[in-house]
Amino acid sequence: MKIAVCLRRTPDTTAKIVIAAGGTSIDETGVKFVPNPYDEYAIEAAIALKEKAGAGETVVVALGADSVQETLRTALAMGIDRAVHLQGNASADGLENARALADHVRGGGYDLVLFGKLAVDDYGQQTGAMVAELLELPCATAITMLEIADGRATVEREVEGGVEQATCALPAVFTCDKGLNNPRLPSLKGIMAARKKPFDIAPVTVAAGAVTVASLVLPPERAAGRIVGEGAAAVPALMQLLVSDAKVI
Amino acid sequence: MANVLAVLEVRNGALRKGSAELLAAARRLADASGGTVDALVCSTGAVNTDTLGAAGADRVLSASHADFANYCPDGTVATVASVSAQYRAIVVSASATGKDLAPRIAARINAPCAMDVTSVDLSGDTIRVVRPVYAGKALQTVDLRGSTVIAVRPGAYAGLGAGKAGANVSITVPPFTKRLDVTGIRTANTGLLDVAEARVVISGGRGLGDPKHFVLLEELAAAFGGEAAVGASRAVVDAGWAEHGAQVGQTGKTVAPELYIAVGISGAIQHLAGMRTAKVIVAINRDKDAPIFKVADYGIVGDLFEVVPALTAAVKQVKAH
Amino acid sequence: MGVVLPVRHQAPLPTTLIRAETPRAEAIELDVLIVGGGPAGLACAIQLARSAPDLGVGVLEKAGSLGEHSLSGAVINPIALRALFPDKPDSEFPFRQRVEGEAVYFMTAAGSLRIPTPPTMKNHGNYTVSLCELVRWLGEQAEALGVNIFPGFPAESLLVDGQRVIGVRTVAGGLDRDRNPTDVFQEPTDLTAKVVVLAEGTRGPLAQAWRDWQQVGSDNPQIFALGVKEVWEIPQPLDRVIHTLGWPLPRDAFGGSWCYPMGPNQVSIGLVVGLDYHDAGLDVHESLQRMKLHPLFRGLLQGGTLLEWGAKTIPEGGYYAIPHRLSGDGVMMIGDTAGLVDVPSLKGIHYAMESGMLAATAIVAALQQHGGGGGAHLAAYDQAVRQSRIVGDMHVTRNMRLAFKDGFVGGVVKAGLMTISRGAFPGGRIAMAADAEAPRETHADTPFVPDNVLTFSKVDAVFKSGNATRDTIPSHLVVGRDITGDVADFYAHLCPAGVYERQGDTLRVNPPNCVDCKATDVLGPRWTPREGGSGPRYRLM
Ligand SMILES: Cc1cc2nc3c(=O)[nH]c(=O)nc-3n(C[C@H](O)[C@H](O)[C@H](O)COP(=O)(O)OP(=O)(O)OC[C@H]3O[C@@H](n4cnc5c(N)ncnc54)[C@H](O)[C@@H]3O)c2cc1C
Repeated sequence: MKIAVCLRRTPDTTAKIVIAAGGTSIDETGVKFVPNPYDEYAIEAAIALKEKAGAGETVVVALGADSVQETLRTALAMGIDRAVHLQGNASADGLENARALADHVRGGGYDLVLFGKLAVDDYGQQTGAMVAELLELPCATAITMLEIADGRATVEREVEGGVEQATCALPAVFTCDKGLNNPRLPSLKGIMAARKKPFDIAPVTVAAGAVTVASLVLPPERAAGRIVGEGAAAVPALMQLLVSDAKVI
Repeated sequence: MANVLAVLEVRNGALRKGSAELLAAARRLADASGGTVDALVCSTGAVNTDTLGAAGADRVLSASHADFANYCPDGTVATVASVSAQYRAIVVSASATGKDLAPRIAARINAPCAMDVTSVDLSGDTIRVVRPVYAGKALQTVDLRGSTVIAVRPGAYAGLGAGKAGANVSITVPPFTKRLDVTGIRTANTGLLDVAEARVVISGGRGLGDPKHFVLLEELAAAFGGEAAVGASRAVVDAGWAEHGAQVGQTGKTVAPELYIAVGISGAIQHLAGMRTAKVIVAINRDKDAPIFKVADYGIVGDLFEVVPALTAAVKQVKAH
Repeated sequence: MGVVLPVRHQAPLPTTLIRAETPRAEAIELDVLIVGGGPAGLACAIQLARSAPDLGVGVLEKAGSLGEHSLSGAVINPIALRALFPDKPDSEFPFRQRVEGEAVYFMTAAGSLRIPTPPTMKNHGNYTVSLCELVRWLGEQAEALGVNIFPGFPAESLLVDGQRVIGVRTVAGGLDRDRNPTDVFQEPTDLTAKVVVLAEGTRGPLAQAWRDWQQVGSDNPQIFALGVKEVWEIPQPLDRVIHTLGWPLPRDAFGGSWCYPMGPNQVSIGLVVGLDYHDAGLDVHESLQRMKLHPLFRGLLQGGTLLEWGAKTIPEGGYYAIPHRLSGDGVMMIGDTAGLVDVPSLKGIHYAMESGMLAATAIVAALQQHGGGGGAHLAAYDQAVRQSRIVGDMHVTRNMRLAFKDGFVGGVVKAGLMTISRGAFPGGRIAMAADAEAPRETHADTPFVPDNVLTFSKVDAVFKSGNATRDTIPSHLVVGRDITGDVADFYAHLCPAGVYERQGDTLRVNPPNCVDCKATDVLGPRWTPREGGSGPRYRLM
């Protein structure tokens, strides 16, 4: 079983968002960066599948500036075998990034290519499915269950009001959602071993694409609320507001 | 001129709700340049599309195929791609299915894609969209050039009702390879609704005074009829009054329901961090200075043991109509 | 009015901190293992990796990533950084800004009086820093030199063989409240090393346990102060470093405040109080909140935002509290763990780094000449520290903090005479009792109501420390005996993070709130190492 995991470096989800000068990106000063949390489900799935198969190789691939190397190392410390840094600046156009990743994965002999379902920074939610389409491989997004048997995968994904079930042949591309597994933490041994694992750097040029970020702003502050009234006597007024104004009942 | 294709969702032989909202977004784009809106319905055949014209579709394109009994991404992408050249924008609803579909279409037709869009505008050569990023902690405005694929957030646009009857056109599904086989949908077997998924969340804090008073909140939740879940603040979870799975806050669950009712919760920031993106927040608390009132849209100052039962009765009454 | 005598209610140190066990089969072998990734531990690691690149060096850090448990004022004396990185210009160090002006005030409830800056508090030529940032930077340097840094792995106990320290065991991860493994359970790991360097910082449990076990005493017991600190974004820059004495502290408490500029739009503001205070209701967090409303600070902070909050203790015993031995068989103590802080100048960072470098030199010599970390060979470190600037500086101010034990006014006079006489006045050593032995008087107190603009509750403060500890971890706090309502109240005021609450006449403990300041370890419930990554996640402290 040969598995690729595409990894993104994202700000810690608890980081305070400050808009940088220029108004199109966040100010990264002092911000802690971590492996994208959804990608950790993909990493865990890859490691667990290889452990179960007893043989194979897991490879983690990241596109971006040199800062992603630290993130790749975290994946190695968790137990991934090998890292590839596609060195270049990612585009605001997800399709261009997908192309760069697909070009690398194509011909790599992978049985599975795994992604997180979204990156917690730009919420792009597209790279995995685009790579699948570019590689003409079967794909399911946001999976919460994955079983591999006899060269086929069975997956589940949450949809409104239920759980969708699907199957496909390998090789395939999946994007992983919370619920798929519990990602392991790097172990001490893993951190030490990570230093010695193969780490390739391949420069890439990503085209600009057809997308420009015009601005990034903080959402408007919640408008100050109001006290509707006191005690049970205020309930009819509240109901009126909830039903007619806010339309939530 | 920007013609727009809205790809609608079908489940169990019927259009999914949200179709009208999506058509409203499509109309907004098309009308900006005198373009037309087509609605694409992929199904096995008999789907009632009568309302679509009124909702804004100039034409309804019906594509039928035996493989469309369940969601069939490969067939849908092939169908969209076969007509995509006529459209400036292809819009889908940012539902679980729509978000799966949009990037596939984009990659197939070589177009950029924007997900979870809350507003769309056409200006000259570019389509400008706004979308929440960083878990809603920032809003990004993005310009997309050329033909584009856009997944519009449910609820971003209200459905229209004024249109005319749309023309019905059948289109052929081109040959495609069914790489993914969706076999069906099972209903989730979780007995209780999770706070992270419920449309309405009613949370209790120390103000309840005693774990047994949670029953008041359960009654209020029940009045909403299966769309409400009961949550709790960390203080009461730590005290063992409620399960950890019900905890809302920084170290518990982050929820973004349409309606959040905080009962007897003071409003520590660690709690607010878990629920401040709720659409409407209601606070019920005896202490008029409680910080929760600063973030609540509507507050009632008073004894929760009187207010909550009155609210339960009122909700029941509305729901009964 | 009642009296609480803290020591009466304190549990003894857990015996599990020292384990005479054979390391597990899977143990990781290193040459030198450093416990604690603060300035002391990282300076030691860097110096080791430089002078003996072949050594296997590891640093265990309990914070989820480096710097997240680091908190200091801080104005730093740059000499240690310059010595550790002789090739780097000052501009490459992660300083916030150079100290360009300074002022000391004596505060009263309504006003403040500027007083001359005592020589020990002069800061010209020093720099303001965020210790978090400095530690992250030191970590990058260490990693580049090949040091293994293990963030998120607290040392739980020392592994010993006879009298010799041979390694440590890490804390298990992923246990539930009843210590049952969950699906993210992580087994403890054993690490063995020829030398274990204890750089745990203030009030380290492993060092305490080792000293108890090996009966390593000091002339005076170590005493501590608790500092509560906030970082604010402010509309107008502050042009100087400020120190204050007096209000809001009662006259019989030792301490003071600081406010340091951290670049054009941030300041660090904090209050430090000696833990031998007499009023059981004294609450450092609340005192800092009140202090921010004083005219001296209000204008500065108004219109600003609280970015981060944190708390930590400082060893304040000074020269006479330095342990009689700083090394033993296979083990050494550096930095705050060894009590190397100069109190009048409120400085420890450069001493911590220097002690780490001295330790590294002694380790390299011992390993090269003797192949092991036997006590006799590591003792060169003791000697080096005693002859260094660290102990030299601490000797000059040896009695200064101690002079304040009976009140502030007398203390000021005595401290003045000490400064003039370079420490020779009053001659000899002022004896000091451990903080827990000072009785506290209880009074009815007036609850503090925060305005949520300039002042904040403890619950909100803990949020601002970034603390997102898993709520279901086992308690790491060991509560002692006979906890009455008064004692519960005392703990509730003492702990800045709202870990303790009085409920009726009983004590309620909320362990996940803990920010590892160690204040109650000094005066009440014991702190023990808990799951890695728990506690605060400081970025700016
Ligand atoms: C409020 C305050 C203000 C101060 N102001 C100044 C100032 O202005 N200038 C100045 O020079 N000094 C100042 N100091 C003192 C200075 O911060 C310390 O002397 C210095 O940080 C000591 O460095 P250290 O490496 O010994 O300990 P620390 O910085 O405390 O580092 C110890 C590290 O060890 C880790 N650790 C502890 N136990 C374990 C374990 N069991 N396993 C793994 N890891 C562990 C901790 O998480 C921490 O990261 C101040 C201190 C305080 C509290």
